[in-house]
Amino acid sequence: MKTIAFKTLGCRLNQYETDALASKFQNNAYKLVDFDEEADVYVINSCTVTHQSDHKSRNFINQVTKRHKDSVLVVTGCMADNAKEELESRNEINYVLENDNKSALFSLVEAHFNGEIKHSDQLDKDRFAYGSTEKGFHTRSMIKIQDGCDNFCTFCIIPSVRGRAKSRPFQAIIDNIKSVIDEGAKEVIITGVNIGRYEFEDYKFDDLIEAILNLDGDFRLRISSLEPDGFGDKFLGLLSHPKMTPHLHLCLQSGSDEVLLRMRRMYTIKTFKNTVEKVRAIRPDFNFTTDIIIGFPGESETDFTDSCDMIQNMEFGHVHTFKYSIRKGTRAERMDDQVPERLKTKRSEVLRGIAEESKLKYRSQFVGKTQRVLVENINGNVAKGYGEHYIPVQFEAENLKKNTFYDVTIKRIVTDKDILLIGELI
Amino acid sequence: MNSHQVISLRNLTPSTYIIRLEKKDFTFKTGQYITLGYSGSIDRREYSIYSAEQDDYIEVLIKEVEDGLLSKKLKRCKPGDKLDIDGAFGHFSLKADEVKNKKFLFISTGTGISPIHSFIHTYPEIDYTLLHGIRHKEEAYESESYDSNRYILCTSGEDTGDFNGRVTEYLLKNPVSPDTICYLCGNCHMIYEAYDILEKQGIKLGPIHTEVYF
Repeated sequence: MKTIAFKTLGCRLNQYETDALASKFQNNAYKLVDFDEEADVYVINSCTVTHQSDHKSRNFINQVTKRHKDSVLVVTGCMADNAKEELESRNEINYVLENDNKSALFSLVEAHFNGEIKHSDQLDKDRFAYGSTEKGFHTRSMIKIQDGCDNFCTFCIIPSVRGRAKSRPFQAIIDNIKSVIDEGAKEVIITGVNIGRYEFEDYKFDDLIEAILNLDGDFRLRISSLEPDGFGDKFLGLLSHPKMTPHLHLCLQSGSDEVLLRMRRMYTIKTFKNTVEKVRAIRPDFNFTTDIIIGFPGESETDFTDSCDMIQNMEFGHVHTFKYSIRKGTRAERMDDQVPERLKTKRSEVLRGIAEESKLKYRSQFVGKTQRVLVENINGNVAKGYGEHYIPVQFEAENLKKNTFYDVTIKRIVTDKDILLIGELI
Repeated sequence: MNSHQVISLRNLTPSTYIIRLEKKDFTFKTGQYITLGYSGSIDRREYSIYSAEQDDYIEVLIKEVEDGLLSKKLKRCKPGDKLDIDGAFGHFSLKADEVKNKKFLFISTGTGISPIHSFIHTYPEIDYTLLHGIRHKEEAYESESYDSNRYILCTSGEDTGDFNGRVTEYLLKNPVSPDTICYLCGNCHMIYEAYDILEKQGIKLGPIHTEVYF
C-alpha cells in the first residue's frame, strides 16, 4: 500500500481541499501518514497570502527535499500559482500543481506511478470537482460553495492566484450537504474565498444559507470567513435560526476609515459597527472574530490607535493579526509610505496584547453557561471540541465519542497556551 | 486575458489622454475597471472604463504619472498595437432599477471622472448632478460631453470653473437632499471628507458608493 502525507497552510478553503484530496487517496488504497513520517508522496498545499506564508511553505518544501529525496513531492495551492516558475525550476519538486488543477491531484500521482507524465492541459480544471471529505483531517465537514474573488483589495494577492469569483451550482451544494449529513456530519462549515458574493442563477448567498438551514437532520451550520460588505437584513435574520451557530469571522482589516479606503475595502467603520450591533442586539453573546492587518502603507499612529480601539470596543472573540507584507503585483506594492518592519512588529505586539484581553473578556462571559460541544479530540476521558460560539471547551466524561454533541456547563477558564474553557457534562 | 488592438489615442492635455481599443466580445458593467498592459508584459495597471456599455469600442482615460512605468509607455502606443485587457472588475456599478427613478450625485476628482463618464453615457436619461473637482480648467476632460445644466466644475487652483474651491467645499455650501444616491470617485482624501459631509447632511450609509483612485 502506498503512503501519502499532506501539509496544509493557510485558509479554510485549502483545508477543505486537502480533506477532499486525502479522502480520495484513502478511498483508492493509499494510506495517510503524518507529515513527519516516511511517505511515498508528499503534498504541500501552500499559501502565499503573506511573506510569512511563503516562508513557511518554502520551509516545508525544504524539509521534504532534504529528508525524503526519493519520494514524490507535489506543491500545490496559492504559492504554486504565484511562484510557479521558481518552484518549477527546482528539480527536487516533482510537480507544481496550480489551483486550477488541484482537484486532479490523484490522477496526476496515479499517472506518475504508472510511468506517465500528465501535462496540466490533460488535467481536470474544475475547481469544484472535489469529492467527499469524510476521511480528511477534520471532524467538522467543510463544504466549498465558491472560489476566487473580484474585490481586488489593494493589499491582496488572492484574486491573482485563486482567479475570478465563481460560484458552485446551488443544487450541487445542497446535494453535497445532504450527503455529508446522511454520512453523520454534525457541523457543516461553508467555505470559499469570498462567500458573501455567492451568486448562482437566481440564488444569492442568503438564499443558499436559508436553503441549507432548512435541510433536515441533527446538524449545525457555521459560516467561515465573511467580508463585511454586501449582506442585508435577510442574512442577519438567518443568524437567529436554531441551526446557525452564533459566530462569524468578519474581516475588519483596519479600524481606520482612511486605511480602509486605501485598502479598497467596501465598508466603513460605521457600517461594520452597525452590523455587529444589529446582531448583538438580538444575541448579545454572538462571537465575532476578525482579521487585522498591521502596518498597511501610510498607517499612522492615529490609524493604528483606531484599530486598537475597535478591538476593544467590538469585544472580538478572537483577532487574527497579520503584519502587512508587500505582495508583488498588488496596488499597495506601489504605494508610498511603507511602514518600517520594526514599527510593524512593535504595533503587532501591542495589538496582540489588546486582542488577548478582548478574547479573555469575551470568553469569560460563558462561565456558568451551557455550550453544546462537538467533540473532536479524545484523550482517555478528556474530550476537546468547540461550542456553538466557536470557543474551545474541554471536559471529562466516560464513554466519549468523537463527532458527537455534548451539553456542557462551563465551570472555569484556563489561560495556558490558549484561553480554554473547562466544563462539566450536564 | 485578451489581446485588443489600439484604434486611436487622443490627447486631452499634455499629460492626459484616452486610448480607444477594439471591443471584440468584451463585456462590462458601467463603472467597472480593467487592468491594461502591453501584450506579453507583466507590467499592468488598473483603469476604469471611460466608454459606455453600448459603445462598440473600449476607452480608458489615463493620466501620465511622473516616474510612472506604464502610463508613459502607453502614451506612445499607436493604432494597431496590441494591449492585454483583464477584467472587467469591481462593484462600483449603478443599479438598473434605480437609474429610472432616482436622482444621483456624482462626485469625482481628476481622472476619477472616468467611470462617471461611462455611467452618464450608458444611461443618457439618468437624473444626475456631476461635481468635477480639478485644479485647472484644462483638466475638465471633455466637459462638453455632459449636460451643462448638470455639470458643476470645481476648480481649486484658479477661479475658472463654476465654483472656485474643492468639491468638499462646494458640498458644505450646497447641501444634498437626503434622497440622493451618491457615487464618489477620486482620491482617497476627497472621498473620506466628502463621505463625512454627506453623512452629516443626512445621506443614509447605503446609497454612497465609492471608488478610490490613488
